[in-house]
Amino acid sequence: MLEIHSLSKSYDKGKSFALKNVSFNLNEGDVCALVGESGSGKTTLVRLIAGLETPDAGNIVLNGEMFSSLHNFVPPEKRKVGLVFQEYALFPHMTLFKNVLYGISRQKNKKIRAQEVLDLVGLGEMKERYPHQLSGGQQQRVALARALAPNPSLLILDEPFSNLDAMLRAQLRNEIFEIVKKTGVTAIFVTHDTQDALAVADEILILQKGELIQKDEAANLYIKPNSIYVASLFGNTIHLSQELQSAFKCPLNPKCSHAIRHENFAINEECEHVTHARVIKRTFLGNKTQLLLKLDSGQNLAVFTKDGNVADRIKIGFNSTDVLEFNN
Amino acid sequence: MKRDSNKWALLTVAILVFIALPVVTIGIELFSGPGETWGHIVDNLLPDYLWNSLFLILACGILVLLFGVSTAWLVARFEFPLRKQLEWLLILPLAIPGYIVAYAYAGIFDYGGSFQLLLEAAGLEFVRIDIMNKFGLAFVLGISLFPYVYVSSRAFFINQANSLLEASEMLGVGQFKTFFRLMLPMARPAIVAGLILVLMEVLNDYGAAKYYGVNTFTVGIFRSWFALEEPETAVYLSALLIVIVFTLILLEKFQRRKVQFNSNRSNNRSIDRKKPGRRQQVLIFIAVLIPVLLGFIFPLSQLIFWAVLTFDKVFDASFLALSLQSFWIACLTAFVTVVMAITLIYFSKWSRLGFIKNIAKLGVLGYAIPGAVIAIGIMIPMISIDKWLISFFDRFFNMDVGLLITGTVVALIYAYVVRFLAVAYNPIESTSLKVSNTIPDSSRILGVGNISTFFKIEFPLIRTGIASAFILVFIDALKELPLTLILKPFHVNTLAVKAYEYASDEMVMEAAIPSLFIIVTVMLPVIFLNRMLIK
Repeated sequence: MLEIHSLSKSYDKGKSFALKNVSFNLNEGDVCALVGESGSGKTTLVRLIAGLETPDAGNIVLNGEMFSSLHNFVPPEKRKVGLVFQEYALFPHMTLFKNVLYGISRQKNKKIRAQEVLDLVGLGEMKERYPHQLSGGQQQRVALARALAPNPSLLILDEPFSNLDAMLRAQLRNEIFEIVKKTGVTAIFVTHDTQDALAVADEILILQKGELIQKDEAANLYIKPNSIYVASLFGNTIHLSQELQSAFKCPLNPKCSHAIRHENFAINEECEHVTHARVIKRTFLGNKTQLLLKLDSGQNLAVFTKDGNVADRIKIGFNSTDVLEFNN
Repeated sequence: MKRDSNKWALLTVAILVFIALPVVTIGIELFSGPGETWGHIVDNLLPDYLWNSLFLILACGILVLLFGVSTAWLVARFEFPLRKQLEWLLILPLAIPGYIVAYAYAGIFDYGGSFQLLLEAAGLEFVRIDIMNKFGLAFVLGISLFPYVYVSSRAFFINQANSLLEASEMLGVGQFKTFFRLMLPMARPAIVAGLILVLMEVLNDYGAAKYYGVNTFTVGIFRSWFALEEPETAVYLSALLIVIVFTLILLEKFQRRKVQFNSNRSNNRSIDRKKPGRRQQVLIFIAVLIPVLLGFIFPLSQLIFWAVLTFDKVFDASFLALSLQSFWIACLTAFVTVVMAITLIYFSKWSRLGFIKNIAKLGVLGYAIPGAVIAIGIMIPMISIDKWLISFFDRFFNMDVGLLITGTVVALIYAYVVRFLAVAYNPIESTSLKVSNTIPDSSRILGVGNISTFFKIEFPLIRTGIASAFILVFIDALKELPLTLILKPFHVNTLAVKAYEYASDEMVMEAAIPSLFIIVTVMLPVIFLNRMLIK
């Protein structure tokens, strides 16, 4: 239903690209996450889809209608895309009810609909309040209600949880996910946090320096990342260099590069590839402890574990099923 | 929508062309050669115009720096009796236009004037001080314009200086040394920004220079236009004046480019003022009081005295009608200027082109161009358009429409808009920048177009900026003299022109009532504005 074809955008006349040749499709009802570090082009992609920027190349098709191409540009007000901004962007001089009413003022049962979406986000009782009288989480839900009111074909949430503290974040993440699922709207969550992405999305798109580098289901992305960059987004990984491969007596395909996640190292346990090491430094990090090891073969290696003391000798190893392999 | 059509960019450029037309006209007219008297003017008058204008720039510059910076430092750093009241009173000299201060001082120092009465009452012998020369003019303009420097440097001393002052104090440096070695160099960009506004006003002045008989550039332009009836010569003088003005602007930009101390971070902590000893407090009080007396209380008292004497003669129904006409023109000007400023700001924003956004800022340069120059730059093309319109209507409709543009207030308001666009642009732009872009973006995404978004969302959020802009332009239009003198149609009159006419007709006492009307109407909205902004 959303088709993006080789979309590019440069803000400096082609010297560098904020977005470069990005293509992907979304199906009706998909909930996907767009993940990338700041500067990866997430916000540019969102603004292009919403019509707030014009692309330099490529096109955007939503429900069969061409939104952006070299010859055609549909302005944002005609696109039926819902967008929830990071800073909510509620209209400060209007009550919640008027905020929600704003996008549906020409509809017939607008008041019923506005009440309906405010009830959906659990703020029906507070409709006569002004945005500044609400907490951050509540403002976020009003922004969601306002975006949902006109029944958008596509809903985009730009960094929806980044302004919230950790406790509230997990709670609101679930709430918003439930609301989005209930309405059945096709949605894109934009986030730099892979935890958020894994929690809410069926499918995840990874952007790096303006390029779409992987698009896959959430679980697949964790198991089969196609680059060390993607793997490292989902947790600390260690590159298995030739030296480490020989230390663990684990020769791997030399045409590919390999990595292993920190959590897949086994300490003092039986596994396929093992070696011995001495603990040279121990750093207590609260829920885990980092050990700096000196392998018998001479390399240093940092691992996370629960116990272990300086000068201990330990056995360390991993199973070959946990090795991640990438084509160079 | 076709992708390539950027109507907002085109409209922005159209507005800029409209604003730039007077200056462009001057540039084009240069090619049709100077008038017959040009050679004579270059030989005999031009050196005079040049030296007098440069003398005024220098003398007024020194005077406003002396008054403006010292008072700003004293009220920002020290606690003394009536400080709060004086802090506010120091702005008020701006309420009296320079030419009116000039009339008042001419009266004060005249034979039988207040100065003589004062000396005699004190039992002293009368010494006549002749103020009707370039020294007097520099004094009068300096004392009425120093608040520009006072306001900009006081803002710096209050907002930016606190932590630096504390650091200097911790290092054991005394007040004097701190002021000259630390604060003055740091405050320079702010001070020069105020100074440049003063110099623009000095070059713009016609009324005071004419009354004191000092031949400045602006006086020269008027003489060529009205007395010699040589537009070509007026154009040449205008072009020279534009060069002087832009040289000043470039110098200001240059000094600011080299040093950029003025950060935007504002220090909300209120400044801790020193409380000096009794004697020092009295000295400071007197030092701050003197500019208020000279710039506001003395001229105002003189005007009130004259107004009482001439009330019956001047104040009648036709005077009231004239006042109403003057207010009406100022209101119309303020409205049109605010609309132009809003369109310029928002059209360029909607074009989404960085280049357009940058050139839109050029629209504010009209403020630097002296009113007489703008007036001539507008008069010349408008006369041609009027001639064309007359023959057009005559040929096709057999109608005699008369002078549609120069015979009505259209040309006058056009010139006001060019000159005062910056006055409206700055407050509106600064409030509009406080509205995050995501707010109008949200509105667009919810299905509302650019223009409706402006009226529903942005207008309510920036209305304080719009109100300030309206009031500021209203004030400036009401006070304006040189441009009005050239462009006003015969049947139209304003308070400023009335005061000027009385003074030129050797009836300077009668000029007091229109002058006081201007001062009161200027002060009321300033008080209102102050209240509104504090709220």
